Amino acid sequence: MKRILTAIAGVLALTALALVSPAYAQSKGKIYYMVPTLLDEFQTESVSALTKFLADVGYEVVTLNADNKTDVQQSQMNDTIILKPSAIILAAVDFNALQPSIEKARAAGIPVMQFDRQITATMSDFTSVAGTVEIGYVAAGEIQRLLKEKNGDVKGKVLQVLGDPADPYTLDIQKGFEEKMKEFAGVQIISLPAMAWEASNAGTIVSDQLVANPDIDLIFVHAAHLAVAAVASLEAKGKKPGDVMLVSSNGAPVGLDLIRKGWEQVEVEQPLYAQAAAIAMFADKVVTKQEIKPGTYTVLGLESTVSIEKWGPNIKIPGAAITKDNIDEPRFWGNLKAPTDKIVPVE
Amino acid sequence: MMSSRQRALIEFVLDNLVWFLLVFMLAIFSVAIPNFFQIGIFANIIEQSTFVGVMAIGLAIVIIAGHMDLSVESVAALTAMVTGILFCSHGIGLGYTLSPEWLIVPVSLVLAMCVGGVIGAINGWLVVRLQMNAFIVTLASYIWVRGLVVAISGGRSAQGLPPSLRFIGIDTVAYIPLIAWIAIACFALFTFIMAKTPFGRHVTMIGGNAVATFRAGIKVDKLVVFSFVLAGAIAGVAGWLLAIRTSGATANLGTGMLFNAFAAVVIGGVSLKGGVGQLPGVYAGVLLLSSIHTAINLMGLPAHYTQMILGGLVLAAVLLDTVKLSIRQKLA
Repeated sequence: MKRILTAIAGVLALTALALVSPAYAQSKGKIYYMVPTLLDEFQTESVSALTKFLADVGYEVVTLNADNKTDVQQSQMNDTIILKPSAIILAAVDFNALQPSIEKARAAGIPVMQFDRQITATMSDFTSVAGTVEIGYVAAGEIQRLLKEKNGDVKGKVLQVLGDPADPYTLDIQKGFEEKMKEFAGVQIISLPAMAWEASNAGTIVSDQLVANPDIDLIFVHAAHLAVAAVASLEAKGKKPGDVMLVSSNGAPVGLDLIRKGWEQVEVEQPLYAQAAAIAMFADKVVTKQEIKPGTYTVLGLESTVSIEKWGPNIKIPGAAITKDNIDEPRFWGNLKAPTDKIVPVE
Repeated sequence: MMSSRQRALIEFVLDNLVWFLLVFMLAIFSVAIPNFFQIGIFANIIEQSTFVGVMAIGLAIVIIAGHMDLSVESVAALTAMVTGILFCSHGIGLGYTLSPEWLIVPVSLVLAMCVGGVIGAINGWLVVRLQMNAFIVTLASYIWVRGLVVAISGGRSAQGLPPSLRFIGIDTVAYIPLIAWIAIACFALFTFIMAKTPFGRHVTMIGGNAVATFRAGIKVDKLVVFSFVLAGAIAGVAGWLLAIRTSGATANLGTGMLFNAFAAVVIGGVSLKGGVGQLPGVYAGVLLLSSIHTAINLMGLPAHYTQMILGGLVLAAVLLDTVKLSIRQKLA
């Protein structure tokens, strides 16, 4: 009995310690950030970036992690609405399933901003995205170039390794990519998903396909951490950097490392820092429910366009193709050099 | 009236049913799927069986002992991350080097086993000393250990293991990758331990009837704790191999492997009630699952079908086990 009580006391003490957090000085209030998962570097860095940039403009950020579970994120939204924060930033696990939660929050007078994952089925107060379909477009353009350089024409065999097939993020990239590749009949695309975005699943797909289709010209993976496993499989099959071209998306540090090592040719980056900075720049207007005017705004040096869509004000920040020629530019979040300049709210 | 030779033949078939099933499925895939029938694909199947296979060894031992260990997947992820953080040169890797270089192999392996062993010891202590349910204890470990992986990595990844360790994931011997040989060696070793040593026999007895085993003077508690420690240490080896294969670690590495390991254990003929099961059958189960994964990869079927097929296969295995049991009862 004494042992059990000691164990319980120990567990409770550890839990209490974990829950204790320093009290931050608040000037303008709390903004809740609903991060879909903390299991990938883009999301992890987005927490740091939003926390830093929103602190610049006077807000404290509280982050809730949904572990890629739609129902968990819905519950978090419900809980947060009761707490009446200044605003909610949502990076939705499931674009459709969160729609009622967004409507509920807005009906309760809490502005909702969409980060990274665009929801067009309902109104939001602000949306900051690079556009996942557009990432597919950029990747398609780069892959067309690489195939032409290698084969003299846009032709060849491409292995496309998606993320989890239940994640709309990867399906959007696939949609954009295949839409732009459709006109090139000489390109054969083999598409397979890495379940749960798990790296060894991607490695397995690459291993199998290299044996079954040894003439693969290029591998396109939908996240940089999957590219690491793809490279490990290439290495295990005796391939050298450049033997099979590799393109990845999201711009994580691991992808940039692979470009520096020569394994990867292009990383299509999501402009994480600019997307987060845009949220901070417009936070005051969103919280105080002021009008956001359409037009061109400079976000961390990137010309970005605000348009008023049927789902509300939307800022689209251009994604970029990272190659060995521009890899060291600090604007790429994969270099993990977050801008130190203070964010200034839009007047 | 059945002759003893016929009876022996039927017993042999029943004992090795999963191997026959594997051969049958491989034959079907070879005929039906273009590019399947080649040595490279068979080598891939064996290689891909490595991680789930090694993980399934520890899981099978605990299940044979009459308990449950849901933490093996998270333990493997933790040891992969520890290996990655200490020895990778990029990302969050600290890039530690040892002199001479080859020392990295035993040091990283022992470290991974120790990390896994400690988690296993915590599980075992809670189950035996505090009489807590193994399902709940290891479910909690499954959650908090994965949380620990996220916490120590900050959600970031480590990449770039040194060549002195990476060679294990690259080199092949007789067409089969070195990591797969390590898995095969693990199966051979633990098959011997479970079949030929007092430990193996006692663990099987505990799973069959713990009270009778205790009354026979066998230290049940000590052996159960040791089974959990062993399961943790073996999961540590699986994580170490996983890190080597992917040249690093991400916070979600190994996600979903627990269910494959469970499926392999059940397909391999280990009874979830404890006291019954042999490790070669588990290895055949893992190979069967890998074959199906590979077949689906080559056919280009959407991955959703993989899970449907796996689920159906597990159900079929349980039904088959029931049929086996009734045939055995008729033979007796």
